[in-house]
Amino acid sequence: MALVELRGVCKSFRKGGETITPLDNIDLDIEAGEFVSLMGPSGTGKSTLLNLVSGIDRPESGTIIVDGTEVTKLSRSKLADWRAANLGYIFQTHNLIPVLTAYENIELPTLLLKLSSSQRRKRVELALEAVGLRDRADHYPRQLSGGQEQRVGIARAIVAYPKVVVADEPTGSLDTVTSEQVLVLLQRLNRELGITILMVTHDSDAASIASRQLLLDRGKFMEPAAGVGR
Amino acid sequence: MTTYVLKTLWRHRTRTLLTVSGSAVAMFVFCFVGSVQEGLHRLTTGADADRSLIVFQENRFCPTTSRLPEDYALKIMEVQGVRDVMPIQVWTNNCRASLDIVVFNGADPAKIQKSRPIKLTDGNWQSFASQQNAAIVGRNIANRRGLKTGDQFSIGDISVKVAGVFASTVPSEENLIYTSLAFLQYTRGLDAAGLVTQHEVLLTQDADPDRVAGEIDATLRAGSVATKTRRKGAFQTSTLSDLVDLIGFAHWLGFACVGLVLSLVATTTVMSVQDRMKEYAVLQTIGVRPLTTMRLVLTESTLLCLVGGISGTLVALASLSFGGFAIGAEGATIAFRPTIGLALSGIFVSLIVGIAAGLAPAIQAATVPIVNALRQT
Repeated sequence: MALVELRGVCKSFRKGGETITPLDNIDLDIEAGEFVSLMGPSGTGKSTLLNLVSGIDRPESGTIIVDGTEVTKLSRSKLADWRAANLGYIFQTHNLIPVLTAYENIELPTLLLKLSSSQRRKRVELALEAVGLRDRADHYPRQLSGGQEQRVGIARAIVAYPKVVVADEPTGSLDTVTSEQVLVLLQRLNRELGITILMVTHDSDAASIASRQLLLDRGKFMEPAAGVGR
Repeated sequence: MTTYVLKTLWRHRTRTLLTVSGSAVAMFVFCFVGSVQEGLHRLTTGADADRSLIVFQENRFCPTTSRLPEDYALKIMEVQGVRDVMPIQVWTNNCRASLDIVVFNGADPAKIQKSRPIKLTDGNWQSFASQQNAAIVGRNIANRRGLKTGDQFSIGDISVKVAGVFASTVPSEENLIYTSLAFLQYTRGLDAAGLVTQHEVLLTQDADPDRVAGEIDATLRAGSVATKTRRKGAFQTSTLSDLVDLIGFAHWLGFACVGLVLSLVATTTVMSVQDRMKEYAVLQTIGVRPLTTMRLVLTESTLLCLVGGISGTLVALASLSFGGFAIGAEGATIAFRPTIGLALSGIFVSLIVGIAAGLAPAIQAATVPIVNALRQT
């Protein structure tokens, strides 16, 4: 059984009197430990798909099962609990909490789990180590560069040891060199820690580091992506 | 999460400071209004107000116009249910409402010591009883006028030597100055030898105050001056009737203060939450529950309100403690006192208002459409 299963997922919304269907009867399986990149033109539903897998958006129809939990059936509150324990989210614009230090930002998801303070500290230090920012622990987001902010965002996404990490154009707001560093970091996390990653990107170079590349166009997966069954 | 709330408040410290100081000022006024109302309540209720009677000249209100024969006390003593009678000559510097009223009560020192709920904190009874022009001064008026034992105090035609300062369990007593009855009767201008302003009647335990009051008036009807006898509480209410109406109206001012804090804190919290809708969406994406999000906002608004409210309440209590404020009219005074009840009501109101002010923005933050909010730049 795949770690992430999407079956018959549809999502549409109305815009200016017109119904747009970014996802039309989508099926997808992602195995544990996979690094999947999702490409496609703007407005084809890549981020929508990511949001559905994350449980921050709901499909019109279809089912989404992650590690045996049907997330489409959970209440908003249960979904929050589920995300805290199972999902890491990397945003394009980092979205760090500006009043908290790098350490405190990374610590946030661990506060939602039943961990002792020493366990929390250990996890945050490991996450900071993994992204190479131990010496920036006490810095506030405004004192960090874009690349460092994104690395803090990645540390925050992995600190709770989630089953799946979703990344919404994680290099979208970074320069080429910093993008490369972030992609290498994601690849390392996937290979060394076995974290399952689903990444949306516009950049084909970025997509190429993934173990599987999917192309989404007009609500459907296109060749060469082999979404189901691989 | 507490760190997040505190740091968020600190991030907009000017806004926080303005809101806290606004709440503090409003709660300061709220407590002051509350203390006036408590003072009036204390004056018109309780054992002293219910179990003693005041015999006053009929159809007279200001103490300077009530002139009863001193020997009425003997007739009053004969009425069944009367335990003791204390003839009192009252002198006040102002018959109208005033914040700096000085009221002298002239009575037999032995009776004052026996029947009034007062305790000397300085000086001694002996020197008060033995000197004609000696006076004992209530703690509040001593603070207000800077009087201490041994001082000579003059006001109008009266000049007394302070023989002691007293405290009382009845706050309004602490705004009085007691002298001997004869001293006040012979004061220039009063011309009251053999006359008193009022008789204070103490009742036996089982006596019905209204029945005794009726009997006293009936007994004295044949005398040279007709009387009106009432419970002390009712007498004070009638004496202070103008102020009572004003104080009754002032409770609206208290409500207005609560409303002011509510709208101030609600506005600040709404602004703060609307600025940070994306932040709440991020928190919920990370896994913070909607209910926890609500709690974060409520903690923020409650903290704003509590810090402001507690500060305002403490400053009000300190002012009431050290200011010795009182308002009086026609010889009766209402003491403004800090009380535990006042402190608790200040804190309780701040807490409730803080929660109420945060409710709407808290719901807004908890139900933020996550995807839309994350798209905000």
